[in-house]
Amino acid sequence: MRVAVTGTPGTGKTTATELLDTDLDVVHLNDAIEEEELYTEVDEARDSKVADLEAVREWLDGRDNVLVESHLAHLLDADRVVVLRCAPGELERRLVERGEPAAKARENAESEALDVILSESVRVHGERNVYEIDATDRDPGGVADEIAAAIAGDRDPSAGDVDFTDYL
Amino acid sequence: MADDTKWGIAHIHASFNNTIMTVTDETGAETLAKSSGGSVVKQNRDEASPYAAMQMAEQLAENVLEQGIEKVHVRVRGPGGNLQRSPGPGAQAAIRALARAGLEIGRIEDVTPVPHDGTRPPKNSGY
Ligand SMILES: Nc1ncnc2c1ncn2[C@@H]1O[C@H](COP(=O)(O)OP(=O)(O)O)[C@@H](O)[C@H]1O
Ligand SMILES: [Mg+2]
Repeated sequence: MRVAVTGTPGTGKTTATELLDTDLDVVHLNDAIEEEELYTEVDEARDSKVADLEAVREWLDGRDNVLVESHLAHLLDADRVVVLRCAPGELERRLVERGEPAAKARENAESEALDVILSESVRVHGERNVYEIDATDRDPGGVADEIAAAIAGDRDPSAGDVDFTDYL
Repeated sequence: MADDTKWGIAHIHASFNNTIMTVTDETGAETLAKSSGGSVVKQNRDEASPYAAMQMAEQLAENVLEQGIEKVHVRVRGPGGNLQRSPGPGAQAAIRALARAGLEIGRIEDVTPVPHDGTRPPKNSGY
């Protein structure tokens, strides 16, 4: 089984998947993209490497039983897609606290308010393969438990249960 | 003659479940009119529909025409729920409705924010 854990940067993917007790190999894809140079160019304005998705697919090819954690994970093949959500104001606060520039925190918060990653996840994988988790008021351990439930099939798929457009 | 009419900017925000539209002055600083999908349809899920976007666009156009705005540039943010291509069907329906209601449409820009960390997706990768 291949599981994607996606969500806007700041929703808590890395933190929760580090706590997750799972038999799957956890791949922190952002690190791999940097280390393996799986990118085509650098977006200087955003100080961000533009992922080479074909190269990423090739790099992951043949690996089953993996959990891929990244805000790009839903753009790849997966049997299940877990989408972490976080209220944009809280997400912005988390990113600033993590030491990110204000412009980066704001653009990510706006992406979250517009459901950009949820919409893409549903478009690429269909609603019955998407498991949305609102991590706004949950501790990382609770989020990890909810991811485990989605992987185990102990909860139903869901999408669009939050509305963060108040932020806009 | 048409040159002394004022330009505005129509901002279309298309989230998974909702569409929000505002019309601002040309600088973006002053909001002249605002409408959200929830104000024109009853069912939650319909707030992002092309129908809702059309209704909103008609109301907004009427409102800003009265304020002397006859032309708008359009900025679309967000992929919307009924995803096909950007701008989504809700946004396209809204733009057509703005035009039908008598507004001249100028530039249409997609300014959807990009979720990014040390890495970002290539352009249009979610389509
Ligand atoms: N459930 C949570 N509640 C509060 N803060 C959190 C939670 N999960 C993560 N954080 C904090 O928010 C920031 C972003 O978390 P991180 O795991 O790096 O997110 P992501 O990998 O999705 O970008 C970090 O500073 C982290 O300590
Ligand atoms: Mg991370």
